[in-house]
Amino acid sequence: MKPARLVAGGALVVVVLAAASLAWDPAMLRAVAARDPALAQAILVELRLPRTALAVLIGASLGAGGAAMQGLLRNPLASPDVLGPSTGAALGAILAGYQFGGGPLAIAGGGIAGALAALLLLLALAGPAAGTATLVLAGVAISALAGAAMNLALSLAPSPYALYDLMFWLFGSLADRSLPQLAIAAPLLAIGTAALLGCRHRLDSLALGEDVAQSLGVDVARLRWTIVVATGVTTGAGVAVAGSIGVVGLIVPHLVRPLVGGRPGAALLPAALAGAALLTAADMVVRVAIAGEELKLGVLTALLGAPFFLALVLRGRGQ
Amino acid sequence: MGTAAAAPQRVASLNLCSDELALLLAAPGQLVSVSRLGADVRETPLAARAAGLHRNRGRVTDVVGLAPDLVLTSGGDPAAAATARRLGIPTVELPQPTDIAGIEANVRSVAAALDRRDAGEALVAAMRRDLGAAPAASTPALLVAGGGFVSGDTGLTATLLRRAGLAAQPVLRGRVSIEGLLLRPPPVLLLSRYHPGERSANAAWLEHPALRRLPAGVRSIETDGRRWTCAGPTLAPEIARLRALVAG
Repeated sequence: MKPARLVAGGALVVVVLAAASLAWDPAMLRAVAARDPALAQAILVELRLPRTALAVLIGASLGAGGAAMQGLLRNPLASPDVLGPSTGAALGAILAGYQFGGGPLAIAGGGIAGALAALLLLLALAGPAAGTATLVLAGVAISALAGAAMNLALSLAPSPYALYDLMFWLFGSLADRSLPQLAIAAPLLAIGTAALLGCRHRLDSLALGEDVAQSLGVDVARLRWTIVVATGVTTGAGVAVAGSIGVVGLIVPHLVRPLVGGRPGAALLPAALAGAALLTAADMVVRVAIAGEELKLGVLTALLGAPFFLALVLRGRGQ
Repeated sequence: MGTAAAAPQRVASLNLCSDELALLLAAPGQLVSVSRLGADVRETPLAARAAGLHRNRGRVTDVVGLAPDLVLTSGGDPAAAATARRLGIPTVELPQPTDIAGIEANVRSVAAALDRRDAGEALVAAMRRDLGAAPAASTPALLVAGGGFVSGDTGLTATLLRRAGLAAQPVLRGRVSIEGLLLRPPPVLLLSRYHPGERSANAAWLEHPALRRLPAGVRSIETDGRRWTCAGPTLAPEIARLRALVAG
């Protein structure tokens, strides 16, 4: 498929899904607008808009982050939720919440710091061009460490209510998010995702090997830092406002890469669009209440993603 | 028990709800230890009375060094009461009340164990005065805490709300979304705050700007979340306040 057509098609899908998410249950919205226009406006602007915008932005950042990490590390298993940054972000957000109160800025800052720390530790442990085994081992070790520290932090929760609060947040959800929360997360997510997208040509060069990339004028060290910082910022901001939303960053690059001839850089923008579409769609699926309870978004993405992960394993075994 | 000489002198309470009863009923100096929640002003309006007392973390081992001659428990660690009895310490284990008679029975059993029966009867009388009789008419209402958690339409909370002239509405799975509240608001919305001033995901829910856009005609009333945790005697004055607000 032509890249331009792929991007245009992806963007169209995202726009359609976002419109559907905003206008969810249109019959009910029309009825409310006829009865009380101010109420319908409040529902659209104060509730639907932040929810939809966060789904698009977080989905795009997860897709782009996964694609960038897979390109940078030249490894199909690389993504924030497999290699530790997501767990690190959750840990950082919890610790920041304990230390500085649960204000949105503190949570976002803690999430970003946690994600960056996990990423830096990963790079330090695995080295710049580690093999799959080393990278995954290092990632699993970091995930396990951050997960254990997070469980420790949870068990030290100041009250049962706080523990309940944290557990629900960790499940991942975009329900009842507000414009102020969007205002904090959106710039971080947008800037981080834009920085990742800006790496696309250099990532394509890197795919030819580090020496070739260097000879083509790519500053590999700077590229690595850009991707690490941008992924850390988007992962941290996303986790802070929506909790853990797993597996999107892992799956999406695999879905789009065959469509762009396997080039990691060219896959970035389509991956961002696919991530946005996937998360927006998933966030509509969870609104179809099961037995009166909204499904948790992070639970749904993980449920959808795990079989994909298994397929990846089987395909790898066949090779 | 039974004689005045049997009045315990070193009473330790291990859980918030037994702390509240002990703090209301004990004679000066009788109580030596409460749980850390019972001494936390964010958890109970009675915390000031616990100033200077030893604070435990709800375990018998925390208080055994104080040589207590009575241990009070109310939930928490289910093995605590058995452990205290095995150590030979007289123990009162308060059941979770399911109706107003259950609250009164807990007041009386703590009062009897402390040998403070008069104080117990006075507290029961004050509670009855505050709770009053249920008004004939009732207004549909939801008691919502941060995160959208709603108290049920049956059980003790609903019974107590009825005394304030409010009929708790059934809510599927005990949780509402803000959109659901805006679309189908009850005439009275009781917002229960827990640890006010502290930021958390659930507290942020109560601060959602959309909650200020409730349709006209919906009354939104703040209520002290601490008093609903145990739904004990400290809730009675709050019920009286709500009844006056709803009637007025």
